[in-house]
Amino acid sequence: MLMGKIAELFIILILVSVVLNVSSPFIKFAIKLYSFQSLMLAFYILMGAVHFNSINLYGSFIITIIFKVILIPYFLFKTLKKVKMDKEIDMFIGIPEAVVFAGSLTLLSNLIAQKIIKTGITFGSFVFTISLATFLIGAMLMITRKTLFSQIIGFLTIDNAIFLAANSITHGMPLLVELGVLFDLFVSILILSILILNLRRNIAV
Amino acid sequence: MYELVLALPAIALIVSVFADVLLMSYLQLGISILVFSIVIAIAMSFNSITVFLGGFFFVDYINLVILITVSTLELFVAFYSFGYVRTEIAGGVSKRKFKFYYFWKNLFIFSMMVSILSNNLGIYWTGLEATTLATALLVSFNRTKESFEATWKYVIMCSVGIAIGLFAIVILYFTTSQVYGESLQSLSFINIMQAGAKLDKNFLMLAFLLALVGFGTKVGFAPMHNWLPDAHSQGPSPVSALLSGVLLNTALLGILRFYQINGASGIYYPRYFLIGFGFFTILVSAFSVIKQTDYKRLFAFSSMENMGIIALGFGIGGIAVIGSLLQIFFHALNKGLLFLSSGNVLAATHERRIDKIRNLSKNFPVTALVLLFGVMGISGMPPFAMFLGEIYIMTGVFRSNILLGFLVFILLVFIFIGLFVKILKMYTGNTENEEAGDEFKNSKTAHKGVDESVIHPFMVYVPLILLLLSSLLLFYIPSPFLNIVQSASAEFGGRIIFK
Repeated sequence: MLMGKIAELFIILILVSVVLNVSSPFIKFAIKLYSFQSLMLAFYILMGAVHFNSINLYGSFIITIIFKVILIPYFLFKTLKKVKMDKEIDMFIGIPEAVVFAGSLTLLSNLIAQKIIKTGITFGSFVFTISLATFLIGAMLMITRKTLFSQIIGFLTIDNAIFLAANSITHGMPLLVELGVLFDLFVSILILSILILNLRRNIAV
Repeated sequence: MYELVLALPAIALIVSVFADVLLMSYLQLGISILVFSIVIAIAMSFNSITVFLGGFFFVDYINLVILITVSTLELFVAFYSFGYVRTEIAGGVSKRKFKFYYFWKNLFIFSMMVSILSNNLGIYWTGLEATTLATALLVSFNRTKESFEATWKYVIMCSVGIAIGLFAIVILYFTTSQVYGESLQSLSFINIMQAGAKLDKNFLMLAFLLALVGFGTKVGFAPMHNWLPDAHSQGPSPVSALLSGVLLNTALLGILRFYQINGASGIYYPRYFLIGFGFFTILVSAFSVIKQTDYKRLFAFSSMENMGIIALGFGIGGIAVIGSLLQIFFHALNKGLLFLSSGNVLAATHERRIDKIRNLSKNFPVTALVLLFGVMGISGMPPFAMFLGEIYIMTGVFRSNILLGFLVFILLVFIFIGLFVKILKMYTGNTENEEAGDEFKNSKTAHKGVDESVIHPFMVYVPLILLLLSSLLLFYIPSPFLNIVQSASAEFGGRIIFK
């Protein structure tokens, strides 16, 4: 069961990185956390690839590394440098309250996942819980932060959560579909970066 | 022949990168006419579900209704764009900017065709997200502060919504992979429909709910509709027409696919959720229409209302489904003509507010007439085609629940009053001019002395032709189209006639 324990470690690190994201006001740190989170997701996929020995998952591991760990954070850093946004971000609820709220969302997602798991997910039930928690905390990030970058990071976190869920209850989506999804995500980040540049140029948002 | 429907927009896309804008407008006309004729040829000779391009794409009756809608509206919008480009260039916009206009528009059309014709749900998702991204830079085409904010809201909200839809597809994949194994086969819609009752019912219901909320964000159901008025009003008018007319329907197609899958495995609860969301959308848009001061936002709210009516019709079932399918086509034509003719007003006067525009009938005779009759048509008055769609839907609603029917009827009357009062104010003169005695001395109108001659004739007459078509369709619908609509509504019983 060593492989199982190592996989659980990666999943827990994903949850830890999301909560760290909530607890910190710095945007650069948030982007680095996102990159770390995607790396953990990629390693989880790699463990699945080794365990089930499927080419699909090896390919998924590689494209996750390329798109989510390297390319998207690189573009976000470039945009951040051009925009010269303040490193601090202001928010609707303070940081300690946000962390407590994130904890309660984790509990909530545990409750929800128990109901779903009862009906028949055979493996990866723990991962499904964590993916639901990441989804909810990412949504909270989007809602309670006023900076545009935080909305992007929140959206990317939600997307990571869905990938995690896809890898937890099945052996991964077909490679063609994953390639399409990741490519769309990448283009959407490019377009959002262009929009941020233009929004900052017109007024101070 | 089926592959050409996908290949031609792709060719247009590649050509638009290289060709000059004015040449591209001619090519766009040619390609739109070709696509339209191919779709008509397909529609005439269609009698069973056809799969093509390796099982990834297929055409069935519902697809065909939306495909006919897209190709018809694109034909008229291509003619309108021809004039629009020339008018804007004559008004001083650079040609380089318009090159990107055609590129993104063709990418939009291509990804919409991919999305509509797809058999594989993953490809449907990719196409839908690609349409969001392709229209994002079109909505911000004018590069004003409001348009950038509108684009931001649009991209973020629709991407989150579509991500929730991805969650729905993941859960559906989980259930179908227990029947078909984990491969691309288990995302194929035809396979899923044939698996039918073997799928786990709880997960199917969960997947439908997630898809309803997720793809419903892109359709514009309330309470997820906040992006719609801004995005549809800030873009250039032909883009607004396409967005309102066909993109909302493409997202609705995803919800309908999940609805069909649930129907095939014997779950009938989804219809109540569709009815609920449809009714709530009509309610919210009825109360919002009254407060609008910008005429393009007004029409955007009307789009939202019509999507609510269409969803209500699909939820009620029976005869209302025929009404909804007809409404999809007629609403695209009618909303297209409203946005295009209001685009004429905007292009000539550069004024977005309703109370700054008066006395349209004097200087813009054709456009004003089209606007007035278009608003009558969009509210469902005869002799325009949407009367037929709304009668079928309202018959279905009244048959199932009289109270709901009265509520919906009252809301529709509200919307009619709201739209008509504002447009009538624009159409005739008001007292501020006439009191002054002198022609435009104290006037607050924006268009002193501007008239229709600054606009290219295509822009003026395309909405008029759409209006006449919409009126003609009430009295005579070609019988192949009627057969297609009837077969499509039979498909909603949950069984596909697959040969």
